[in-house]
Amino acid sequence: MIESYGYTLSHYCLVGAGLGLAMLVAYRVLRLFGVKGEAATGVALVLPWVLGFLIWTLGPILASLYFSFTDYDVLQAPTWVGTANYATMFTADPDFWPSMRLTFLYGLLSVPLGMAGALGTALLLAQDIKGIGIWRTIYYLPAVLPAAATAVLWRWMFSPSAGLINTVLSPLLNLFSLARPAWFTDVRLVLPSFVIMSLWGVFGANTVILLAGIKNIPRHLYEAAEIDGAGRWAQFLHVTLPMLSPTLFYTLVVGIIAAMQVFTQPMFINAPRQAGLFMNVYIYQQAFGRYRMGYAAALGWWLLVVILVLTLLVFRSSAAWVYYEGERKR
Amino acid sequence: MRPKLLLIFVAIALLLTACNAPAPTSAPKAEPAQTQTAPTSVPPPAAPQKVKVRLTTWAGVDESKELQAVIDKVNAAAQTFELVHEPAPADYGTKLQTAMAGGTAADLMWLSHEDIIGYASRGALLDVTDMLKADTTNPAAKLDDYFEPVLASCQYQGKYYGLPWIAQPVVMYYNPELFAKAGIAEPDESWDWATFQDAAKRLTVPGQQWGTSFNGWPPPHMWVWQAGGEVISTDLKTCPVDSAEAVQGLQFYADIIYNEEHAVPEAVIAEQGFGEMAKTGKVAMFFGGAADDLDYAYTKDPKNARLKVATVPKGPKSRATFAWSAATSIWSGTKNKQAAYDAMVALTEGIHHWKIVAPRKSLANVETIAASVPGKAESAATILKALPDMRPFRVIPKYGDWNDVFWNQFMDPLFHKKGTAADLAKTARPKLEATLP
Repeated sequence: MIESYGYTLSHYCLVGAGLGLAMLVAYRVLRLFGVKGEAATGVALVLPWVLGFLIWTLGPILASLYFSFTDYDVLQAPTWVGTANYATMFTADPDFWPSMRLTFLYGLLSVPLGMAGALGTALLLAQDIKGIGIWRTIYYLPAVLPAAATAVLWRWMFSPSAGLINTVLSPLLNLFSLARPAWFTDVRLVLPSFVIMSLWGVFGANTVILLAGIKNIPRHLYEAAEIDGAGRWAQFLHVTLPMLSPTLFYTLVVGIIAAMQVFTQPMFINAPRQAGLFMNVYIYQQAFGRYRMGYAAALGWWLLVVILVLTLLVFRSSAAWVYYEGERKR
Repeated sequence: MRPKLLLIFVAIALLLTACNAPAPTSAPKAEPAQTQTAPTSVPPPAAPQKVKVRLTTWAGVDESKELQAVIDKVNAAAQTFELVHEPAPADYGTKLQTAMAGGTAADLMWLSHEDIIGYASRGALLDVTDMLKADTTNPAAKLDDYFEPVLASCQYQGKYYGLPWIAQPVVMYYNPELFAKAGIAEPDESWDWATFQDAAKRLTVPGQQWGTSFNGWPPPHMWVWQAGGEVISTDLKTCPVDSAEAVQGLQFYADIIYNEEHAVPEAVIAEQGFGEMAKTGKVAMFFGGAADDLDYAYTKDPKNARLKVATVPKGPKSRATFAWSAATSIWSGTKNKQAAYDAMVALTEGIHHWKIVAPRKSLANVETIAASVPGKAESAATILKALPDMRPFRVIPKYGDWNDVFWNQFMDPLFHKKGTAADLAKTARPKLEATLP
């Protein structure tokens, strides 16, 4: 056993020695070129991170870009096919557009609802009441639960006959003589089910971030508004929202990216195939289930482009609705 | 910046590296050289080091324990290799492919029969045909002892890429208590589709118990075979799913699945579990693999229903039944081909006395089944009756793509009554054939 640890430890030490040597060489070379000692030290110290980024992040990113133009099944060398993967994606894959549609609709529904819910919860938690710290802890708990366990829990909650959701809804359903919804087996209800699941994220990081934003709004603004005769709703519209807009902007951007990349929940919950597949799940299936890593890489790059365009649109629109204190509008 | 500090760090790191034991290798060490001294008695040559052969499987905790017992016996008898098990119960396929791409795959691997052709066609598996034909000593290497359809699942373009270690024919588990209550005679060899459907209807009490349960399992393929049809032709050139025989089989399946008159609705299956409903006595007839514990689950927990085994009902042309099979294959990048082959054959022999059913005619007897799984002693004779009719899927290199079309564009709409088998088959056939080699 010591022998096996020693083998790994020796590799770690080799890597450490190599990095140390690289840092020393970098410092020496920079100094030779007349770079000041402080700057050379800074570069040498960030060198390990830079190397890690180049080798394990940028390298694979560029490799995936290359693979997206190849027919690559992982087991054999890639064969260059040009833009064939992209052409197949847009014109010949019957599952591509339904997956895009499902993922896009999921983002369109879950992000605004999630933000509204997070904002409402943050407003409630911003009250100065006794024990508010405990409430904030409780509402943050969903953020620390493992995603896989959460998915299994929701699968039970959505169970048609014994699940919590249908049990709570049953008086209403009985009143109108409606059948209990088959949440994850009825094709029409799959998307709403996942959207409802996503609201779980409301009581987590987003609430805490918005709460911090609310706490940072200067009190004198509310006092001035009150003196001017503004009621609670007017204060919310004309003080809270504008002052919170940078934080809302951040949660919107992060929310869109997360929604478009949803993966864990759909992987753990079997929904009818007719409802479609989320893009990341589809990419995973193509890569490892169909030996089509090249095509999966192309799908991944397309998803990146879509997310980038949506993010840029939000950035462009931010001039119209995001207010930064101290910013001068020309 | 203190370059001296960095130098000291590098020196310490190198010192630590020099002090560590050398990495273990799997290559046998060379024998120590004889030194030139005065003549003395020559010491006997050192026993050759055993080659470490790595095996990766999808076995979970319990299965790994049982497999380790088999491996221990194999290792005790082996002279030239030592088998080491590396289980990967989660994301097995992903890990396998990643390891192969990285050049670190295990020497041996378990593969489900649906995956063998895909890996073989992509050069990931070692062709063991010549080694098998030259092997006249190991019983597990005797190819004519295997059930031919099961052995064929390890073949690609006439070459063998592994040895099957199991063939699980689908059998029908039934609840005799529910049959007695309904006044229906228990299933026997005379049962056909009509008898089965009629019994399923009579055994259904909506909301409480159901005659049977289909969920894409049992595979619709076997109903096509029973009607005399095929989903992939023998020569792998066509997908005659629109033939009269195939349509007959698929329509029969579509008429039963999720139909509350005979079978469990989809939402109830999702909620209460597929196989679990048979164990809890809510499903009177359940199609399961021969190795499933449904017929002796009551011995582990008396709350489980006491089920018996029958062969599947006969179709218009045959009693064909699906047999899931799996094999042990050798990675084409292994550095120890002979040791890996020896280990593969020895392991296969060991597993043939552990798993049921061993895919060999010489081991297809009640004694072997009962010795492997004592709980199956009562059902062994019935299971043996299923063996001559069993067959795995016919697999092509792009089987994943074929499966996508078959299930997503043909079966899923069929099960959800979006069309008849005849109509859907017409549109599905060209798409299925587009994936053929």
